[in-house]
Amino acid sequence: MAALGSLDKLSSTAGLVSLVLLAILPVLAGGSYLVGVLTVAAIYGIWAVSWDFMSGLTGRENFGHSLFIGVGAYAAGFLNVQMGLGPWWSLPASMVLAMFFGLLLGFPTLRLKGPYFALAMLSAAVIMQRLMLIFWEYTGGEEGIQDITPLIRNHLHYYWFVLGVLGLTTWLLAWLARSRWGLILRAIKGDEATCMAAGLPITTYKIISLIISAAFAGLGGALYAHYQLQVSPQLFAVVTSITIITMVYVGGIGTIFGPVGGALLLTMMTEGLRNFGEWRLMIYSVLLILILFFLPNGVVAPVWKKIRAKLSSHARSAGTQAPIDKAAGEV
Amino acid sequence: MEILIYGAVTSAIYAMLAVGFTLIFGVARVLNLAHGSFYALGAYGAYVLTSVVGLPLWLAAILAVAGVSLFGVLVEKILIRPLRYSQLGVLMITLAIALVVEQTLFLTFGSEYRNVPAFVDTKINIGGVDVAGQRLLTLVVAGVSISLLYLFIQRTRLGSAILAISQDADAAKYMGIPSDRIFSLVMAISAALAALAGILAGPFLSVQPSMHLLPIVKAFAIVVVGGLGSIPGSILAAFMLGYAETIVAYEISTSWTEIVSVLATLLMLVFRPAGIFGKRTAF
Repeated sequence: MAALGSLDKLSSTAGLVSLVLLAILPVLAGGSYLVGVLTVAAIYGIWAVSWDFMSGLTGRENFGHSLFIGVGAYAAGFLNVQMGLGPWWSLPASMVLAMFFGLLLGFPTLRLKGPYFALAMLSAAVIMQRLMLIFWEYTGGEEGIQDITPLIRNHLHYYWFVLGVLGLTTWLLAWLARSRWGLILRAIKGDEATCMAAGLPITTYKIISLIISAAFAGLGGALYAHYQLQVSPQLFAVVTSITIITMVYVGGIGTIFGPVGGALLLTMMTEGLRNFGEWRLMIYSVLLILILFFLPNGVVAPVWKKIRAKLSSHARSAGTQAPIDKAAGEV
Repeated sequence: MEILIYGAVTSAIYAMLAVGFTLIFGVARVLNLAHGSFYALGAYGAYVLTSVVGLPLWLAAILAVAGVSLFGVLVEKILIRPLRYSQLGVLMITLAIALVVEQTLFLTFGSEYRNVPAFVDTKINIGGVDVAGQRLLTLVVAGVSISLLYLFIQRTRLGSAILAISQDADAAKYMGIPSDRIFSLVMAISAALAALAGILAGPFLSVQPSMHLLPIVKAFAIVVVGGLGSIPGSILAAFMLGYAETIVAYEISTSWTEIVSVLATLLMLVFRPAGIFGKRTAF
């Protein structure tokens, strides 16, 4: 499983090709509707990959990823609407604020073994959602903050921008996951006591990876805020976190690329299920239960692994077989 | 005086929730994120049986508690047990169950608030304060049910089996204690307590599909403060948190009550992660 996160030529080519395909897809097929769906899909991709970087690699599951997303989105809303700053300020601000929350929650909980981290994140996200409702004078309550300025007015250009951010984020996190740093994170998942015995400051590693994960989740939150042009407390909901976790599980936990594929796949699928409206979350939860039981390694990553194995045995120059590689992103 | 009474009622509900939550963790090492769902199902069960079916409340309450308890056992048997080897698997599956329950309630009843009838409608004057009878009843029932549980665990054979498993699951198994059956029993007790709390608190709290979340947050905070797996610890912590919240609500503002539990959790984890009565070995 671990090998899937590595940046071999084949995987990175596949990633690049699927990125390009995703970029030209709306140009070919047209329709602003598709652009919207793909933008949301790409933002979910950023969230999923940032979740996977911390939780997938270290095995410490974060049940409150929505906390960082909401914090990032509200940071964007506040700076933009309440304080009248330009929309581009949102991006660094949301990252910094989310990192602060990552430190705040990571420091007390990641020192401990056991379920404290998972539960504390869940609690914090629930409480933040309540606080957004309770302090409605500042946060707009149920309505949230409206009239956020878009980063880029042209929807297609904004989609490309988001896609670019997704590509960079994935590349950066995949690179980190493959580096010595990622190796240590995986080792922590494998056996914490041994890592400690080897003199590794595992708590520091875990906290910093949570902060990195939080930063990108916050960034995704800001991008989402500037896409929706409004933020609401619903962003903090547990449902947001569970949606992301389901995407990661579908993609293949701990594989970095897989979750991106899972996010794209599930967002498209939900659009297909649009008519089911209210049933969407139900379908997600049931899907998650089924995957936990029957496909603990996910769907996207194992499929890609098979394709890759076939390609490598088929020809040495397999990296050029672009049409099949598309599968990595969309299987 | 108001603080004293209302604090006690809040604490009693928290205690009922936290005791079940910590019990199933202490015995089966299962952190049940669906615990709040039992609470929600209890309240909705009472609502359906009284308003839709038209049963008298006492019968509805018994049926709801029994039904939720059965539901808990089934969930444990079918969904949780196969994943018990992995703590993360359990967290994931129980959270997924909680969301399935929430969505089912949402799809069936919509997101409006529902009214669960109160057992007692009269107000009782205590020391110059009018207190709804339902709140006092909650206090009494919580006291009685937790005492019964305590006696059951301390005095009966089954109770000692539960204790034995919580102390050393493997050793207990070798002594011939049927641990799977004990888990089912503990799950049933835990679910029943949560459902009972939901029925009792239903009349004065909001009954809607996402009501299961806050109880989980509170139960977690209490269990952290009291020590994971410790029943006396969680009762004590339930009272500390219940009173802390009531005092904050009266002295500062109701808006700030929600912060109390998270603050307590974080501070406790920083300074004394084992909790008041927790065992160090949990880490």
